[in-house]
Amino acid sequence: MTQVMKGVRVLEVAQFTFVPAAGAILADWGADVIKVEHPVRGDAQRGFINIGGMKLDPRRNTLMEHPNRGKRSVGIDISTPGGIELLYEIAKTADVFLTNSLPAQRQKLKYDIEHIRAANPNIVYARGSAYGDKGPEREVGGFDGTAFWSRSGVGYSMTPEELSGPLTQGIAAFGDSIGGMNIAGGIAAALFHRARTGEALELDVSLLSTAWWAAGTAVDQFIESGKVVRNRMPTSGGNPGNPFSGNFRTSDGGTINLCILAPGPYIRDTFAHLGIPEAADDPRFVDAPTLMRNWKEASELMTAAFAKQPFAYWRRHLKTLKGQWAPIQSLLDLAGDEQALANDMIFEVEAGDGGKPLKLVRGPVQFNHEPVETTRAPQASEHTESFLMEIGLEWERIEKLKAAGAIA
Amino acid sequence: MKPGTKLKSSVCDTEVMVIRGSGVVVECGGTPMADERPAERGTLNPGFAQGTLIGKRYVDAAGTVELLCVKPGKGSLSLGGVALQIKDAKPLPASD
Repeated sequence: MTQVMKGVRVLEVAQFTFVPAAGAILADWGADVIKVEHPVRGDAQRGFINIGGMKLDPRRNTLMEHPNRGKRSVGIDISTPGGIELLYEIAKTADVFLTNSLPAQRQKLKYDIEHIRAANPNIVYARGSAYGDKGPEREVGGFDGTAFWSRSGVGYSMTPEELSGPLTQGIAAFGDSIGGMNIAGGIAAALFHRARTGEALELDVSLLSTAWWAAGTAVDQFIESGKVVRNRMPTSGGNPGNPFSGNFRTSDGGTINLCILAPGPYIRDTFAHLGIPEAADDPRFVDAPTLMRNWKEASELMTAAFAKQPFAYWRRHLKTLKGQWAPIQSLLDLAGDEQALANDMIFEVEAGDGGKPLKLVRGPVQFNHEPVETTRAPQASEHTESFLMEIGLEWERIEKLKAAGAIA
Repeated sequence: MKPGTKLKSSVCDTEVMVIRGSGVVVECGGTPMADERPAERGTLNPGFAQGTLIGKRYVDAAGTVELLCVKPGKGSLSLGGVALQIKDAKPLPASD
């Protein structure tokens, strides 16, 4: 893929998925991303034993790969005098500083904006937080499970009120990965602004703002109406007001989603595909207004039609449907989906255990139709010496920093 | 051997960067490593065949040597016949 960020250096002091994922996107785009990790502990992300209900293999650690592919890891203890001076030296060579450290930590260890800007006045300073860098809770940390899913109202609206409690996020780092992309977009815009005007900006993305943006049409509507709508319980049938929109159960328990939001032009084609062509001539369903008014009756006919054939039949048969539809499939099903593969949605990196390559999901943006070419995530502190020599440190100084516990 | 230089295995693909240690001889696959790989590869000692992992650092208990694996191979690293250990990051255990 065209290396749109080639020549841009990103200095990352960040952990877990949300903010590192921004670095990963920029690395996919060709940036030189230097990930600073604690020399002994490493990124806290490395400590995950289980995630999403599954045990992680530390030698084939997909949870590290997703938000860290393509980076170099440099082990610096920035709480030491030698370590923080080294961070400033690296900042002098960087275009972007990327962090999710809490404000108190940034102040205490002196890598807040004023400290980094003292080293490099032209650096873009990007912060990821739980709740934003202003207001009474700017010092409060969080994960996507708290800020993105729970506090935002997303979890509440995803859950039908008939259930005894709110659904959990269900997919590990779901809000984090969306948020990371948001940060990467913000950084790209800030770099564009700097190139045009010479002005370096600071920018913020929170997990809370990420959730509200993703839920934006609902949030705006709820504010306007003063009412909140929640998810419906699963059914087989059309949605109230539009029978051509809804989930329909097949004879073997699979589900087909129809999403024909403007049904008018699709009435005859849809009924024909469902094996009930005569319904198109039924006066109750002849045009969009009558179909929408008589949604219940249409939905009953359609539900019965879908229940006559298995999932595989509908997948094949609906390929010629003019309206919008999709099979309900799993995230793993997508890994073998012809369309996903045709769009290079998966790429491979070398695995840490030397075994078969790891398959990773690419970021959502593709340039010039070209697949991502990148490298695996680094081991903790893998590039300390090689990177420091690259920016001009003599081996003697590296040894001194090491003796002082500033690097590893 | 001295810090900042590279060593190659005589029996497999392994290459390491010397991070710490000088004047000692480290082995890979049971055979001393050298600046250059010999024209003909030696045989891998099955006692030192656990393999090396890319990007990992290997150390001895006394802290005499530290080697960074820059190219993995089938042999495993040792000093004076004693296997070197991986120096891993020690994050706090976490789970969701």
